[in-house]
Amino acid sequence: MPAIATNTAGEGERAGQPSVDGHLDRPTVTPMSLPRPDLSAVKDAIPLFIPAIPFGLVLGVAIIESAMPDGVGWSTNLFIFAGAAQLATVSLAATSTWVTLVLTAAVINLRHVMYSAALAPRFETQPRWFRWVGPYFLIDQLYVLASAATERDDDDWRRYYLSVGVSFFVCWMATVTLGLFVGSAIPEEWRLDVAPAVMFAGLVIIGITTRPAAVAALAAVVTTFIALDVPNNGGILIGAIVGVTAGYLAERAAERDGTSEEQAR
Amino acid sequence: MTTIAAITAVLSVGVLTYLSRAGLILFLAERPLPLQIQRALRYVGPAVLSALTVTLVAGSDGVSGVEFAEVTAIAAGGIVAALTRNLIASLVAGMAVLWLVLLST
Repeated sequence: MPAIATNTAGEGERAGQPSVDGHLDRPTVTPMSLPRPDLSAVKDAIPLFIPAIPFGLVLGVAIIESAMPDGVGWSTNLFIFAGAAQLATVSLAATSTWVTLVLTAAVINLRHVMYSAALAPRFETQPRWFRWVGPYFLIDQLYVLASAATERDDDDWRRYYLSVGVSFFVCWMATVTLGLFVGSAIPEEWRLDVAPAVMFAGLVIIGITTRPAAVAALAAVVTTFIALDVPNNGGILIGAIVGVTAGYLAERAAERDGTSEEQAR
Repeated sequence: MTTIAAITAVLSVGVLTYLSRAGLILFLAERPLPLQIQRALRYVGPAVLSALTVTLVAGSDGVSGVEFAEVTAIAAGGIVAALTRNLIASLVAGMAVLWLVLLST
């Protein structure tokens, strides 16, 4: 993504000389004054939000189609604020029990643990309130931007992080809400209920950049298909576990091949 | 699903989502994640999203719930995703093929 690389360079320059840039001076007299948004953060957030628009619209439609009441489905924006987990929650409501639904969403969210681990050192020196509030906003796009801006000083990074986070939050709310209206206006014959599956399939394929990842996806598809008749959609979890294991083993195998090739030379 | 069950599910997922994001930041800041776990986590995304796709296509009827039109739509969306790496293009292609297949059958 070239846009991020360019932005990072710009941030590096600016973070190095905050005092030269007069209007960026932090308030020294009233440190508790309301934080001002970092406009450069908002500018960085926009290009990353555009690909999330169809996702938000599909989610809005899925909330309408969901077995959950619309209001409860919409509240996932506030309580969950994670697109894939939200989409899984509302679209599994019809066919799964509570346990499968919650476990599936939890597994989808495991990737956040990676983000959390990667950003944890940057949070160590931050004020306590931010260590509690910041993670709420930690979506994929914020991780990409915040981890590329770690050379900013503490206060500057926090302002950048929150500005990106709040921008995404507001845009996400608006897009999903718009999707709710779109969903209720479009007749059922258009089969928008299929859109979440198409969306997830696209996400998987775009996310596959290595051979072990492809192995993981394929193993999960085959296993889940075989396990489709397991009650309460338990096949998702079986498929996920087999997929992760297959990907992990494929990476180990590729590594062994790599080292043996090197030794042969 | 009853309203109470739905609210409970949403709140539970919410708490778990927050914990997955905040856990290491709040409680384990100085300890890095073991390499083996980091590796396994890399495959969580492709594995669970694939499993979810298959389940959504089948719906509540198991294998018999798999529809020809849906499978074609996903295949088309998948091919476009692989070629363009663009989620919008993939979604549009998938839905367009779905409508074509539905109209012609």
